[in-house]
Amino acid sequence: MNPWLVGIGLLQAVLLLLLAPLFSGFARVMRAKMHSRKGPPLLQNYRDIAKLMTRQEVVSEQAGWIFRLTPYLSLACMFLAAMIIPVLAADAPIEAAGDLILIVYLFALPRFFFAVAGLESGSTFAGIGARRELLVSALVEPILLLVIFVMALLAGTTDLWRISMKVAMGVFPYSLAYLLGMVAFAFAAYVEMGKLPFDLGEAEQELQEGPLAEYSGRSLAILKWSIYLKQLVLVALFMALFVPFGAMTSLSLVGFVLALVIFLVKAVLWYFIAGVLENAMARTRFMNAPALVWAALGVALLSFVFYLANV
Amino acid sequence: MTSIQFLSLAVGLFGVGALAALLFGASGKASRFVSAFFGLLASVSGVIAVVMPMPEGVPSVRLFAVAPFGEFGLQMDSLSMLLVAIISLLGIATSLYAFTEAPARVSVSFFTDLFLGAMLVVVTVTNAFFFIVFWELMTLASYFLVVWEFDKKESARTGFIYFLVAHVGAAFIMVAFFLFFGRAGSFDFAAIRSTAFSPAVKNIVFVLAFLGFGAKAGMAPLHFWTPDTYAAAPNHVSALMSSVMKKTAVYGLLRVCVDLVGAPVLWWGFTVLAFGALSAVVGAFYALAEKDIKRLLALSSVENVGIILMGVGLGMAGVTLRQPELAVLGFLAALYHMLNHAFFKGLLFLGAGSVIEQTGTRDLNQMGGLGRRMPWTALTFLIGALAVTAIPPLNGFVSEWFTYQALLHASGMNLFALRVFVPLFAVLLALAGALAVMVYVKAYGGAFAGPARSKAAAQAVDGSAPVLVSLGYLVLGTILFGVGAPRVAPLIGYWAADFAGQPSMMVDTAWAVSVSNTMISPPLVAILLLGLLVVPVLVVAAYGGWRASRRSNVEPWSCGYGYAAPMSVRASNFDQPVKVSFRPLYWIRTVVDKPCRAIAGAYTATVSAIQRAEPVVENTVTRPTLKLVETAGQWIQTLQMGDIRLYCLYIIITLAILLIVLFGGSGL
Repeated sequence: MNPWLVGIGLLQAVLLLLLAPLFSGFARVMRAKMHSRKGPPLLQNYRDIAKLMTRQEVVSEQAGWIFRLTPYLSLACMFLAAMIIPVLAADAPIEAAGDLILIVYLFALPRFFFAVAGLESGSTFAGIGARRELLVSALVEPILLLVIFVMALLAGTTDLWRISMKVAMGVFPYSLAYLLGMVAFAFAAYVEMGKLPFDLGEAEQELQEGPLAEYSGRSLAILKWSIYLKQLVLVALFMALFVPFGAMTSLSLVGFVLALVIFLVKAVLWYFIAGVLENAMARTRFMNAPALVWAALGVALLSFVFYLANV
Repeated sequence: MTSIQFLSLAVGLFGVGALAALLFGASGKASRFVSAFFGLLASVSGVIAVVMPMPEGVPSVRLFAVAPFGEFGLQMDSLSMLLVAIISLLGIATSLYAFTEAPARVSVSFFTDLFLGAMLVVVTVTNAFFFIVFWELMTLASYFLVVWEFDKKESARTGFIYFLVAHVGAAFIMVAFFLFFGRAGSFDFAAIRSTAFSPAVKNIVFVLAFLGFGAKAGMAPLHFWTPDTYAAAPNHVSALMSSVMKKTAVYGLLRVCVDLVGAPVLWWGFTVLAFGALSAVVGAFYALAEKDIKRLLALSSVENVGIILMGVGLGMAGVTLRQPELAVLGFLAALYHMLNHAFFKGLLFLGAGSVIEQTGTRDLNQMGGLGRRMPWTALTFLIGALAVTAIPPLNGFVSEWFTYQALLHASGMNLFALRVFVPLFAVLLALAGALAVMVYVKAYGGAFAGPARSKAAAQAVDGSAPVLVSLGYLVLGTILFGVGAPRVAPLIGYWAADFAGQPSMMVDTAWAVSVSNTMISPPLVAILLLGLLVVPVLVVAAYGGWRASRRSNVEPWSCGYGYAAPMSVRASNFDQPVKVSFRPLYWIRTVVDKPCRAIAGAYTATVSAIQRAEPVVENTVTRPTLKLVETAGQWIQTLQMGDIRLYCLYIIITLAILLIVLFGGSGL
């Protein structure tokens, strides 16, 4: 382990943590503008969090320790993901935890707790939200894994940082398989971020924010923050896998600043495109979601076929 | 003492335990105690046999010879070693559990030890004839355990189906062994191993062994008997059947199709891999639709057997293609998952058993809220659930990671069929993994979360001390085999390489497991995950959030109406979206179920012999045997003076004879 890289990993995780509410704020502002509303200020999320932190927490009497632990575990898990994904340097922050399959399965940990917490609260809305959340991930996981397999086969490893290095240094076949894989993965990341028409986290009217329903006070603040961070981490994961250009391939201060700026630009671009898509889309019935996912799986399969055909 | 002597001692102790259970048959509780006690001793002895330093070569012992069938002997090569480890390690857990929680019936006590002992012999015996004998003994013992509540009609039916499937499977295996005998002229494994078989014989043997062992392992689509059977058996026996007996079937498949017939043919590996992938997905989907916790766990075992078979298939393909890395990686994944699955599934079955004891139901909808009533059971069940859903850094993740790596390795192979299909199998594995999360959120959520949904559930308490100790012990294994992977994986990798006859290629690093181009460090992930919990704590502190108060006596919000427990999401409606989204899959089951039942019905109607066979077997074999065992205790007791010290004396004498027989001859 290179201590500099570990340091960068820690630093980038802190940066992502601090910036995550800003990016979600940006998405909120954008939505408001597209709705021709005035919308909240850009920094509203930070204010919400600060306010929630000092509010009294009200917990359902059904809830046990899993309910209480979930927000903290969720944030810790996302922080870990932010540390081990190569964001600023294409090289591995922590070599022994840079495996893509590990990263994908790491996301299952907060999901498991989140869903159990939803059930534990005893609330109808939280329970239904939990099961929907899990169904969507069950639909998306095969897409993620197929694309990961294609990328791993193209690069000859499942190490995210090795793939990232190869893509960044130009020693990677930028084929049709790669491009279609990118599309499918972007779709999967978009769904995992909880956007329309799969939006579960923000279905204010029907589902009372899904599994968030029973959370309040500092728990809600931490949980919301972890969701913001998850969204940014997914963007970082996408960038690291497909467009790591701009990330440092060798360590230097100038490179660091440059990598940070380039990453932020890429992230803003992602949030912008995702925002446009989200607001251009109608909310469909939840049960129609699988049809869309099958289409994305089709794209992933196409990517795999092109990989086989060596195109 | 050598390791093989400890192994023989373990087998003998199981026998003594079974006999002692009969001796103390006057009281169900006493027989349960001695059976559990000797089971524990025997299991410890089995563990010692594995961890002892090994001499050069394969430790073996020849006990006696029967004229036409050959020698009865035991040996421990690397594959047997792993199986002995699994049986003994799980034997410790179930014996502990059995002290207080097993049904206090002589028959259960008797057959449990017999079952365990027979399995130990099955995985170490060196002769095909005796393999079949002990395989049958194992099957029969488990059959009598399944029908332990023989006065219930349901249990008798279930037992009959199990009996039928197990024996059709055993017949297949027998035919395979006769084919061996026809060519090799001997039942001894060594003789079979050194005989070259024609491709036709090899292929037939593979098909027979695959079907026979596959049915016993509960591989889809031959898994249909498992949910009912596991649900009917006493809880600690369900744990054994799922964690251990399944593995003996995988052992049989490996022993016959890789070790005995020589190099496997390519389509074998491919078939095993494909059926493995099918089992993984089918098991996960059908597990999700269950509301009976034991049936759910049984179907989840179908999923896990699928994952194991995927590794086996890849390993076989590696052997055929002369790709040592693929062979070792595939078998490593399979063997590792066998060990891991034994631990977490044993944990889940015993945890579920404890819950069932407390609530008196297997229906998840009738449980709920047990997290507060049974905190230790809930915690251990949660860890088991996290492990089975392959969440890092627990053991399920590590072996599944190896499976993925083996799949990736096979996908990169220069063979079109592998390149096309293996990544798709990986996708199925991913789907099964995601569904498994749902299955276990449902299982944990249904049983432990939310409000209590029955009176019994509202009054449940944690099980007795031995139960908690056995759960804790299994949790320890589940964590250690995950976090300690850098220590465990090289050992299993070495065993896998030895079994596959390939050079070992595991890199022995202190803190990470690595495969050609990748490495992960489960201990590091564990440390980071726990350590990083400090981040949210600091964040809250930075905002002064810890000063805010907390109130936890409110009802969940329900749109302003009064809250009632039925409003919460129950287990049986948790899986609704999946049932709707994947309607065709469940439709297939319904559709297939009908003709299956029709065929079964026609079968029973036309072949009246079979129709008669059921009650005949019921009335002339099953009931009398069980009754015999039940009364044998009292019967033996009437021969004695009724003094407990005398019984102890008998047991000590038996033990002494056993030791003399075992070790006297070997000049110890």
